[in-house]
Amino acid sequence: MITVTADLNIPRGCRIAQQGSGILQSQYKRSMELLEAAERVHSTNRYRQLDQEKKQMELSHKRARFELEKVASDSARDHEHEVDRNQDLLGRIKKLEEREIDAAKNLSDQVEANRSVRKNLEALNKKLEERDSRLNSANQASSSLKDEIRELKQKIQNKDSTISSQTLENQELQEQLDLQRRKYQEVSQLCQSLQAAESSCSEHIIKIKELERRLTFQEQDIAIVKTVKLEVARLPDMEKELKRLREDNAFLRESRENCSLLKEEVEGLRRKLERMEKTKEELINVELDKERLAEKLHAWENLGQSTGLNIRKPDDLSREVIQIQQREIALKEQNYTLNSRVRSVERSQAELRAEMSQQRSKTLEEQKKRETQEALVRRLQKRILLLTKERDGMRAILESYDSELAPTEYSPQLNKRLREAEDILQKTQSHNAEMEAQLSKAQEETMTIKLQLQTVELELECLKKQQTSVADSSSLATKEEVSILRQKIEDLELERQRLEKQNNILEMRLERHNLQGDYDPVKTRVLHLTMNPTAVAKQQRQQEVEALQEEEVLDLRKQMESSELRNQRLKEVFQRKIQEFRTVCYVLTGYQIDITTENQYRLASVYSEHMDDSLLFKKGPNGSMQLMETEFSKTLGEMVALHLHHQKSIPAFLSAVTLDLFSRQTTI
Amino acid sequence: MTSTLKGITLKGSAELVAEFFSFGINSILSPLTPKLKDYLTNVVSQLKDWLFECTVQKLVLVITCLETNEVLERWQFDIECDKSAKESSAPREKSIKTIHDEIRSIIRQVTATVSFLPLLETPCSFDLLVYTDKDLVVPDMWEESGPQIIDQSEEVRLRSFTTSIHKVNSMVAYKRSEAV
Repeated sequence: MITVTADLNIPRGCRIAQQGSGILQSQYKRSMELLEAAERVHSTNRYRQLDQEKKQMELSHKRARFELEKVASDSARDHEHEVDRNQDLLGRIKKLEEREIDAAKNLSDQVEANRSVRKNLEALNKKLEERDSRLNSANQASSSLKDEIRELKQKIQNKDSTISSQTLENQELQEQLDLQRRKYQEVSQLCQSLQAAESSCSEHIIKIKELERRLTFQEQDIAIVKTVKLEVARLPDMEKELKRLREDNAFLRESRENCSLLKEEVEGLRRKLERMEKTKEELINVELDKERLAEKLHAWENLGQSTGLNIRKPDDLSREVIQIQQREIALKEQNYTLNSRVRSVERSQAELRAEMSQQRSKTLEEQKKRETQEALVRRLQKRILLLTKERDGMRAILESYDSELAPTEYSPQLNKRLREAEDILQKTQSHNAEMEAQLSKAQEETMTIKLQLQTVELELECLKKQQTSVADSSSLATKEEVSILRQKIEDLELERQRLEKQNNILEMRLERHNLQGDYDPVKTRVLHLTMNPTAVAKQQRQQEVEALQEEEVLDLRKQMESSELRNQRLKEVFQRKIQEFRTVCYVLTGYQIDITTENQYRLASVYSEHMDDSLLFKKGPNGSMQLMETEFSKTLGEMVALHLHHQKSIPAFLSAVTLDLFSRQTTI
Repeated sequence: MTSTLKGITLKGSAELVAEFFSFGINSILSPLTPKLKDYLTNVVSQLKDWLFECTVQKLVLVITCLETNEVLERWQFDIECDKSAKESSAPREKSIKTIHDEIRSIIRQVTATVSFLPLLETPCSFDLLVYTDKDLVVPDMWEESGPQIIDQSEEVRLRSFTTSIHKVNSMVAYKRSEAV
């Protein structure tokens, strides 16, 4: 480029130089040549420079390419990491979504709770409003009360003023009162002096009275003394009289004793007399008895003589009596037997009477029959007579006809008639014979019945006789019967008492049952209102119990739900925390720790070159950790030897592994 | 009171006896809530009809423990109806004053009796049973029931009164206290 421009400039310069001078032209040419040489040197330099630059560029290019390749590999590795992370993040997103759903559920629950709370709030608001209204009313009341208070205060002020005036008055009055009091004291002093005077006066009066009384006593005493003096004057006469009287007295006493003795004697004599009279009467009675007994004795002796029994002593009599009693007993026994016989006979008699009456009725019937039969016979005889007459009449007529008519003319007719008539006759005769036979039979029957009747009558008569003979002994039988009946009555009475007791007991029981409320379901039915208080109360109770149970169930359910929810939340929290912990561990230590099976832990380093590179540890029974062999651990022989076998430090080993892997990744 | 001062009719007697039951049950159960009072008036008005018809035999007030369903007290009023009063409407010669006096003495005895009966310590309720003739038609709202007899009871017979048409014998049975 430069060269080109130089070429262009030359012609122009040449023209100038042709116009000026040739020196200038040579100079110019020389300078131009110099310039050209300089330019050449410059360009060569420049060329070299550019060459060097080119070489440098190439070098840098190579370096850049190298670097780019390295970056590319790095980015690829990063990309893989990113993909892993992405997966993790996707997992996390899922979890988060689940959490979100749960949160939404919680939110709905919360909303519901919120609603209930709002309702409560509304109810509370209403209550608040009510309270406000009450408060307002109360405020009004208080304001009115305040007004009242003000009024009352005014009144009080008024009252105060009046009170002050009153106190003033009071003071005046008290002054007056003091004056009055002083006056009163003076007066009272005067009064006291007066009273003292009065009391002394009354004492004097009392003294006077007493003195007067004594005076009267004195007068009385004087009178008494006078009378005593008179009596004393009479005393010797009195003593004389006394002596006389004493003598009299002694005499009288003696005479009185005599008198009482005499009286006793009289009494004794009287009693004796009475006794004597009584004995006299008794004597008379005894004599009379004696006579009577003598008569009796005579009679007995006579009896003994007349009866031929040896009754001379009471023993004999008693023996006789015993014998008689024995005989009586035997007779009684006989009587009993006779009575029983009489009863049996009476019974048979009754039976026979019944039979007899039957027989009589039969005989009556038979007699009636016989009479009817006789009547029949008579009628039949009459009829027979009539028929014989008729027959005779007919024969006569026939004979007349026979005589009148020729025998040849009507003979068949006549013969026929004749035969008919004869037939009738025979029939009647046979009937007659039958009737007669019946009659004779009836007569025979009546005869037999009569015979029976007679025999029955005979029996009756003999029975009557027997009865009369037995009648004497029947009284004893009745006695026996009476005793039996009495026994029976007693038995029945006992039975009745027993039954009465039983009846009483049963009645008491019935009463008790009645008291307890028993009833006869046949006659009675028990009714009550369907909606009675007991039924209602029972129903209410039932409902309450059910409601309580329901409430309890609901409470339990709620508790269960809340506990489940808490459990769920705890689980979530734990999971979250565990995840967080694991990520923190991963980030801080550079190892992802997983539990593969029980007591086995797999550690994967952040910087591991392959996805499968991992270390496997096993927890021993005493808590110590042991490295298990893996493909990856086989490559770490040196570190295992150094840190685990020699230093016995797992953390040191892990750190060494981390450092190693890290250095491997960064230094290429 | 429709009856005159001179005597007493069937209707008057029924009203008197019903009034007695109302008073008596009130004095046994007092105090009553208005709801229970309504129930009582309802029963007594029905009872009045039956008394007028002479078809009622007993009125029983049963007090039941709600927890155990046991009958603790049983006030029984036996009613003897003179059914001939249904045919003849002529009033009986018994003054209402004497009947009132008799009723008053029974009510007094009932209230005195309540005080010596065992205390009702548990929540209780009561029911009114009416023993009627078997041929009676059961009205609406009424149903047949058992006699609700007390197991192991003590019985006390109280006074009785008569209007000369209806005779009422009162008694009370209660659960023996050691048996509770």
